[in-house]
Amino acid sequence: MNYKIIKQTRVTVALFFIVLITLPFIFFINRETTFFSYFLKLQFIPSLIAVFTGGAFIFLLLLLITLLFGRIYCSVLCPLGIFQDIVARVSNLFKSKKRRRFKYGRPWNILRYTILAVTVFLFIGGISLPLGYLDPYSNWGRISTEIIGRVEHLCHNIFALILPNAISYRSYTYFLLGAFLFPFLFALLVVILSAFRGRLYCNTVCPVGSLLGLISKISFFQPVINKTKCNKCQLCVINCKSQCIDLEKGVVDVSRCVTCFNCMQVCNKGAMEYKFLVRSKRTGTSSELPKEQIIFSNDRRKALIAMGALGTAIVAKSMEHETPVKTKSKTTGITPPGAVSIERFKKNCTACYACVSACPSNIIKPAYTEYGLDGLLLPVLNFSNHYCSYDCKVCTEVCPNDALLPLTLKDKQLTQIGQVRYTPKNCIVYTDGVDCGACDEHCPTKAITMIPFKNSSLYIPKVNYDLCIGCGACEHVCPARPDKAMVIHALEKHGIALLPEKEQQKKIDIDDFGF
Amino acid sequence: MKRRQFIKSAFLGALTGALELKAGNLFAKSGETNVEDNDLVAVMGGEPAQMYKRAIEAMGGIKRYVKTGNKVVVKPNIGWDKRPEFGANTNPELVSAIIKDCLAAGASEVVVFDYTCDEWRSCYKNSGIEDAVKAAGGNIAFAHDEKYYKSVSLPKGTRLKEVKIHEAIINCDVWINVPILKTHGGTRMTISMKNYMGIIWDRIFWHANDLNQCIADCVTYGKKPVLNIIDAYRVMTQNGPRGKSVEDVRIAKALFISTDIVAADTAAVRFFNQFKEMRVEEVGHILIAERLGEGTTNLDNLRVKRIKIG
Repeated sequence: MNYKIIKQTRVTVALFFIVLITLPFIFFINRETTFFSYFLKLQFIPSLIAVFTGGAFIFLLLLLITLLFGRIYCSVLCPLGIFQDIVARVSNLFKSKKRRRFKYGRPWNILRYTILAVTVFLFIGGISLPLGYLDPYSNWGRISTEIIGRVEHLCHNIFALILPNAISYRSYTYFLLGAFLFPFLFALLVVILSAFRGRLYCNTVCPVGSLLGLISKISFFQPVINKTKCNKCQLCVINCKSQCIDLEKGVVDVSRCVTCFNCMQVCNKGAMEYKFLVRSKRTGTSSELPKEQIIFSNDRRKALIAMGALGTAIVAKSMEHETPVKTKSKTTGITPPGAVSIERFKKNCTACYACVSACPSNIIKPAYTEYGLDGLLLPVLNFSNHYCSYDCKVCTEVCPNDALLPLTLKDKQLTQIGQVRYTPKNCIVYTDGVDCGACDEHCPTKAITMIPFKNSSLYIPKVNYDLCIGCGACEHVCPARPDKAMVIHALEKHGIALLPEKEQQKKIDIDDFGF
Repeated sequence: MKRRQFIKSAFLGALTGALELKAGNLFAKSGETNVEDNDLVAVMGGEPAQMYKRAIEAMGGIKRYVKTGNKVVVKPNIGWDKRPEFGANTNPELVSAIIKDCLAAGASEVVVFDYTCDEWRSCYKNSGIEDAVKAAGGNIAFAHDEKYYKSVSLPKGTRLKEVKIHEAIINCDVWINVPILKTHGGTRMTISMKNYMGIIWDRIFWHANDLNQCIADCVTYGKKPVLNIIDAYRVMTQNGPRGKSVEDVRIAKALFISTDIVAADTAAVRFFNQFKEMRVEEVGHILIAERLGEGTTNLDNLRVKRIKIG
């Protein structure tokens, strides 16, 4: 095999994918097309979570790839993994030659599998947030939104100042310190780890890495050291960013190997080989083949446990059971359209912020306490800057997890994401005795209409709650201060509004101007 | 009308405009002597561009209002993310005809903008106005951020003493107000004066501080539109100003044009009254503006021309 070409292909494909997976978080791109958002569905955790809503094919494909070739996912599809490779590469420019060398590192198996076990256990129980906090894709989404997206916003506005007539100024994004600090500190940690220890995050913390690592123990192709050819020159070890090649014992820890082909490419002796492995039932070495080329049953057992856990997670998902532990939701968090219910949203959303980046009105922001503690940093609607556009359903299109189910525009226009509460004593018409009508003006379904107020010539709002879809237009424009007369309250479960009636008008033929 | 068809006709229109300009240079200007002079022109029965052409002729031609080299702003209503058939935004064909006419009259540039209610990019796009403006040779201006607005004082204002107005209006030589005729839950009707809410920044303040008074106060702003052209081709007679379905709209095929903003709105309300009862007195800001000396509701004192096409 020509490992040089394989490695170069790996690098090219990886760079291609990190760009594709970052683009949907860039506002400018999002305005033009949602095409790139479909690439987000290629990610492992989203395909797992959406396994019953269209993710199954991708999920099985990713498993199959891992079973065949090992953790190639971590090298070419995972944006955070690719990012770490880039960081490691760049940091080499600032290091002395000696410092650039990796050494074999012992696996931190207890930490690693504890994290995996806890995340999987909680996920099976219906609590997805810890997974969301650790999932490399979701973290990359948050980094893209909060850091890359902000840099893009800044550049955009600089261009808007240079070319004021051609490029529009982008007025606002939400900024929440906590929501910024999480990805910022996370990125910092990953940068430091990858600059000094290569793929340490992937092989210690990342639950996806640990899981795929267990499965890749039985993958058909694995890196194998040919002891007869190897002269222990250490070149492979120096270049192994996973620090998983133990030359003393002459073995590669495949559970940590991300199949980057670096070792094979640098080996002058051709001693590092990517080989099709033979399976053995026995733990002994009865076969003529060297020990390294046989998959033993204890490895198979580990892989089976991993896949069993994955299977359990899928079964648990299919049962749609109640979450056993949950903090009481304060029901102040309004979930985006397609979320169905706060509970379902919490189960399926990993806070990747694809919807946050895509919302053209920029009204989706990370939550603090709106959903309760188990909803910290999940996307939540906020109407202080704008409201949910009646003819828009972009958030439901871009969600890779199907935490927001795709909706037809017709369905979205009837989905009650929240419900207005009207407090007449706060209304301008009531308090100031003057006309206003801002809410009525903006209401897309005419849930709000204006009726004569007492015996004056004024008109005051009247709400038909069956028509309200909670879009927040009335809340956004209501001029009453400090307390608005129109406030949207969240619904535990999204409702379905009545279809606004078409009010046919009598045909009138006019032949005169009327004056 | 399909977009392609529209762009085609817009292109042909632009071509005709350019040729006419040349013809004017070639032949002696004979029309100058019998130029019509009216205060208010009402047209009905035609297509938007056709009605505009007849109306502006009866107003003495666009050259009376737009001089060579003028920077012109055309201010339609683009408030909503709605397609033209919903009648929520000014008819793009009318906007296009006005832009071409201004450019033919020698305007150095024609800028179109509105401070929209719905998300602005969708409004500009789905109203058909952005495409129409570009096809007609005009420019779109942004209006979605406070940075595009400058503070001016309103010495004649009662409630509103100061207001932030879009820089395009402040910097232009002349501006033309092109509203669409619709009902409104707060001010009963939205026509020319209510269209001022798209050139100012803080609408919430107006809503909180006697909307009708604020509208009339803003109309006292020194730089007045040289023309108010009311699009009544499609008239939203219920559920305005956003509307919920095409059933809210009647095809009325009318257009009103006047230099007097109070008269223009009065005429439009009286026209509207034939579809649905609405008295001029119900529309608070019209009366306040008249009291502030911005025009007259008494159409009998004006030179009014009524044109029926077809």
